[in-house]
Amino acid sequence: MAGVRLLNLTKHYKRGSEVIKALDGVTLDIDRGEFVAVIGRSGSGKTTMLDLLGLLLKPTAGNLVIDDVETTTLSDRERAHMRGRKVGFVFQEYNLLSGLNVYENVMLPQRYVKDGAEGKQRALELIDRVGLSDRIKHKPSELSGGQMQRVAIARSMVNKPSLILLDEPTGAVDTETAQQLVDLLKRLNREDQVTIVLVTHDLDIASQASRHIRLKDGRVLSDERVAEAVPV
Amino acid sequence: MEIFRNIWRRKLRSTLTISGIVIGVFALTTFGAFAENFNALIDGGVQYFGGSVQVGPPDGQAANLLPMSKIDEIKSVEGVEAAFAGYQFQAKPGGAFVVSFGVPDTIVAADPGEDAYSALKLTYASGRAVSTTSRGDVALGYTIAKEFKKKVGDTIDLPVRPADAKPDFINHTFNVVGLISETKTAPDSFAYINLADGQMLLRDSLPAQLRDSIDVTQITEGISVYGKHGTSLSELDKIADRINSEVPGVKALRPSDLVNAFRAGGQIFTGAAVAAALLALVVGGLSIINTMFMAVSDRVREIGLKKAVGATTTNILREFLVEATFMGLLGGLIGYGLGVLLVVVRNVFFPAADGSSLFLITPMLTGIAIGFAAVLGALAGVFPALRAARLDPVIALRND
Repeated sequence: MAGVRLLNLTKHYKRGSEVIKALDGVTLDIDRGEFVAVIGRSGSGKTTMLDLLGLLLKPTAGNLVIDDVETTTLSDRERAHMRGRKVGFVFQEYNLLSGLNVYENVMLPQRYVKDGAEGKQRALELIDRVGLSDRIKHKPSELSGGQMQRVAIARSMVNKPSLILLDEPTGAVDTETAQQLVDLLKRLNREDQVTIVLVTHDLDIASQASRHIRLKDGRVLSDERVAEAVPV
Repeated sequence: MEIFRNIWRRKLRSTLTISGIVIGVFALTTFGAFAENFNALIDGGVQYFGGSVQVGPPDGQAANLLPMSKIDEIKSVEGVEAAFAGYQFQAKPGGAFVVSFGVPDTIVAADPGEDAYSALKLTYASGRAVSTTSRGDVALGYTIAKEFKKKVGDTIDLPVRPADAKPDFINHTFNVVGLISETKTAPDSFAYINLADGQMLLRDSLPAQLRDSIDVTQITEGISVYGKHGTSLSELDKIADRINSEVPGVKALRPSDLVNAFRAGGQIFTGAAVAAALLALVVGGLSIINTMFMAVSDRVREIGLKKAVGATTTNILREFLVEATFMGLLGGLIGYGLGVLLVVVRNVFFPAADGSSLFLITPMLTGIAIGFAAVLGALAGVFPALRAARLDPVIALRND
């Protein structure tokens, strides 16, 4: 059953008189619990697709359904609420708040969703699952790149989203740390049945996903499901 | 907690910004306290002079004296309920000029029965009022008692002998029988004696050659005229007009003219004081705007992240507004605290030479000083907060 459905999803920009077709009529279904890698060259539409899936951008045309909700007709406020409840983000540059410690950074999305004690408990569990229980009071400046990205991953999951979007999550860490992060993502994907969409240039990383979507010039060039992802 | 952190992480900038507000509110508090003190004097004057008609000699008369017979003539005028003779003398004749916002120390000889008609009721912190019969008693106003460090049971020589007094200078020793509670207006500087003692001082003040030829019991310096209790200002004006038309040889001042003169002076003073303070506050407000715009620029990615994790436009708007308001409030509290400290130190440790206060902190001033700082902070935060709230999260997240 599709957790995310893109139907002729289109995003065009105008630059002067020129129309840039960042995403050009993409149609595909992403099942609940899938681990999808989106690959393609720069300018292929990967990041635009991620921004559309994360409800950060409004499509020029087409439909986007997340958990049976047609999102293209939602107001800005409803999109923000849905982003808070249904979507988690992980960015290449971590985007942790420097003044907050590990726990406070993980709890940031709870500020806008407010699950009370349950949210706090979940944050502590997630910090434990990403292996940072002993760093809970540390500030980002006291963490390594891999640790910061693990904090970002925990933060992305604290609101129990059904979809996690990762934009080059391993782009700023070394190969060994990158692999550790992918192993962590696969484990969370398997244990929580959360849908993961990962944008990457790194084919080694992409190869570990259960599905590979290759974009070119805003269109789907190929869409392959792998029988079984490499086990952790 | 995050507000503190956000403010603290740009220590120098935040300190300078809050300092701007501190200076503004400090100025508002001190100038305001100055104006409040002045206004209290004005209000007291309005109350004191707005409740009676003051009758004196007609224009052009050199001596400030009236025959006592005028009192009965005035009492026969329609609307007049009571009329009282009175005398006033400088308590410190020949004293050096002292800058003060109070009334100069004055010896007031009045009928104790007048207090029943006066709009400004005197109460006594200790002791009692002077009586009509006993001689040599004085009740001291709040500042004059403080100035001469007198309490009930002490004596005071009045008028106070000047340092360069001539050999024929005359004064008398009075027994302090009462200390009047603070009124924040004219009576604070008054030493009240009865009419008989007043007439004695009037006699003393006359040239030696005239003392024995004038019966001081038959003359008064002025007459205070009262209507029935609750007579309006406009009705008192009409009584003044009737006195002027029906009683020859006197001039009744319309109380509204006195009241308007007081209020006009108060408005000019308050306007000037508040304008100066507001100017300082506006500068502080502009510094908050600048700081908050810089904060928005510094925290573009943070704003983008918050939007990505579910913050609505309203959430972001509120966060920045609260931060700006907090800065204003913090500056307001510190500025107000420093202002109060200065006022207290000035009033307690360095009082004016005549014992009067220069500053008055009122609940209204407190509310205005702190409230205005918070509102200013909030207003100064509106544009930066709107800018933050309207940031496109996609652009914000990838901001370098």
